[in-house]
Amino acid sequence: MTQIPVYTFTGFLDSGKTKFIQETLEDPRFNGGERTLLLVFEEGEEEYDFSTYPHKNVYLEVLDQQTVEPKTLQALAKKYKAQRIVAELNGMQMVGDLYSRFPEEWVVAQEVMFADSTTIMTYNANMRNLVMDKLVGAQMVVFNRVTPGADTLPLHKLARAANRRIDILYDYTDGTTAFDELQDPLPFDINAPVIEIKDEDYALWYRDVTEEPQKYAGKTVRFKGQVAMLRRDRNTMFAPGRFVMTCCEADIEFFGVPCRYPNSRELKPRSWVMVEATVTAEKHAVYQNELGPVLTAIRVEPANPADPEVATF
Amino acid sequence: MTKIDIYSGFLGAGKTTLIKKLLQEAYQGQKLVLIENEFGEIGIDGGFLQDAGINIREMNSGCICCSLVGDFGKALTQVIADYHPDRIVIEPSGVGKLSDVVGAVNKVTGEDVTLGYTVAVVDAGKVKSYSKNFGEFYNNQVQTASTIILSRTDAIPQDKLDKAVELLRELNPQATIVTTPWNALTGAQIVEAMEGKATLAAELAQMEQEHHHHHHDHEEDCGCGHHHDHDHEEGCGCGHHHHDHEEGCGCGHHHHHDHEEGCGCGHHHHDHHADEVFTSWGVETARKFTKEQITQALEALDSGKYGTVLRAKGIVEAQDGTWIHFDHVPQEADVRTGSAAITGKVCVIGAQLNEAEIAALFGV
Repeated sequence: MTQIPVYTFTGFLDSGKTKFIQETLEDPRFNGGERTLLLVFEEGEEEYDFSTYPHKNVYLEVLDQQTVEPKTLQALAKKYKAQRIVAELNGMQMVGDLYSRFPEEWVVAQEVMFADSTTIMTYNANMRNLVMDKLVGAQMVVFNRVTPGADTLPLHKLARAANRRIDILYDYTDGTTAFDELQDPLPFDINAPVIEIKDEDYALWYRDVTEEPQKYAGKTVRFKGQVAMLRRDRNTMFAPGRFVMTCCEADIEFFGVPCRYPNSRELKPRSWVMVEATVTAEKHAVYQNELGPVLTAIRVEPANPADPEVATF
Repeated sequence: MTKIDIYSGFLGAGKTTLIKKLLQEAYQGQKLVLIENEFGEIGIDGGFLQDAGINIREMNSGCICCSLVGDFGKALTQVIADYHPDRIVIEPSGVGKLSDVVGAVNKVTGEDVTLGYTVAVVDAGKVKSYSKNFGEFYNNQVQTASTIILSRTDAIPQDKLDKAVELLRELNPQATIVTTPWNALTGAQIVEAMEGKATLAAELAQMEQEHHHHHHDHEEDCGCGHHHDHDHEEGCGCGHHHHDHEEGCGCGHHHHHDHEEGCGCGHHHHDHHADEVFTSWGVETARKFTKEQITQALEALDSGKYGTVLRAKGIVEAQDGTWIHFDHVPQEADVRTGSAAITGKVCVIGAQLNEAEIAALFGV
């Protein structure tokens, strides 16, 4: 089956999604005449104007993000013989919920988030899970309505705390734009003979090592965690890790890394241990048989609980 | 006795600004606890609250993914036990359902604790797009509230405001809707609206009652040769209370009928009281007028084209931001500038009123 690329645009109402998509479809570099299905899951103040497009084979459908079914999406793509999909998503819904209903042959080619810099911090304070949801999956976030000279560091921190690799573009009220060039060095040295992970950096390390396990292949790490047992193998493996809170108490999850350890049977679940181990990148059931970090223990020693016990980003 | 008031509304709607205004202008002298379940842009400044003797409790579970109910009920009970306040003012999370908060409050109400005002603060410019795209929680706030207070009504064009009010009316036909910019209103006026005393129905009932008195003040026109005036003040002797009309039957029949049965004055009232079979018509509107428009409309009411108009009364916003008060009896119109009301109102009492034509005349 031929794959259909999907370009998704996320963010809250009035964040500039429609305006951007409109301008993109007006641009002959993006709109070279491909048959484009434009899916709109949120109808704000701005409206689409097809009259200014260099090619007219753009087909708009307005759908309800909460209830749309895969077969509806598939039928629409077929009806318009779509070569690609452009989708404007609803800010109050979870992106992943929609992706899980995309037909198999639809492949998300790019996800861009838009955020009004004048409201995003308040939104983040009050519905952090929805803000995180958009930031985590996006390749790029555009912060718009930025006053020239305004402090962009809080925006930078917000975006990079959620997603270390996200590109950040500031769109200023005077019409200029600028990419965020700030580097965020990791708070631990990944070239050290033993990479020491401080208690407060566990969440950050876990995200980095699971996103780029190859980067850590062959290296040795040392961190503190709690003992969890793996369902399939209790005799030669365990999974040291931490409870991590992304947004608030309701979303606390255990993030552990599978670790080979011959004496795993002797470990008490939930007890605190200091682990020193080498990292390899392997396919593992914990990662749905995708590539992920797997540890081989050098030393596992009892330790005092971290303070606070729950790790955060 | 503790009353619990809830001010819901999406982020940025202006909940904090409204609460602050009410704390300063309407809630003074009450022992009050403010429960904030949202992290707003404008914090209510602590010094001011302390001076006013207000306790503030923040509940830090302000995001949509947290369940409100369990902890919230506990916190409320605790606040009541600790402070025994006259009022608890709750500013819930902007992305939650008002009905959930009301539900949580209803679990702690009883003899000494009652639910007070349930308010939805709504940004007038966002009604359409929020209602369409946010769906459930937003519409729930509007539908559950007994008072809808619009913010930023002066920042949008008239037709957009009219459409917003229309949409809110569809979602909630009962609520009192405040469309007047807040700085034109006193805290007391907003409280009156929240207490349900500023509704169109209340206005019409009052006018009908006034009409009744008014009518009997014009004894010289009645032709029956008796002075009813005094009698009516004390009770006209017919054994019926004329302010029954207040209760809102509006048809005028009972009263009329009673008189036929014999009010004791020995005269048949129905022959000169055809106008007593009156109907009343009223509308709320956020439209702006000029004094000239109102004067012309009132003159037109005398033409007979609209039915027999006995009285027209109203308060509407003028195009220059002032407010026009008018009171009209046949051949006599009083149009003046006065204080603001929570929304514009036009009320007409008469017989065989052509309501559609009257609405068109006022453009509402």
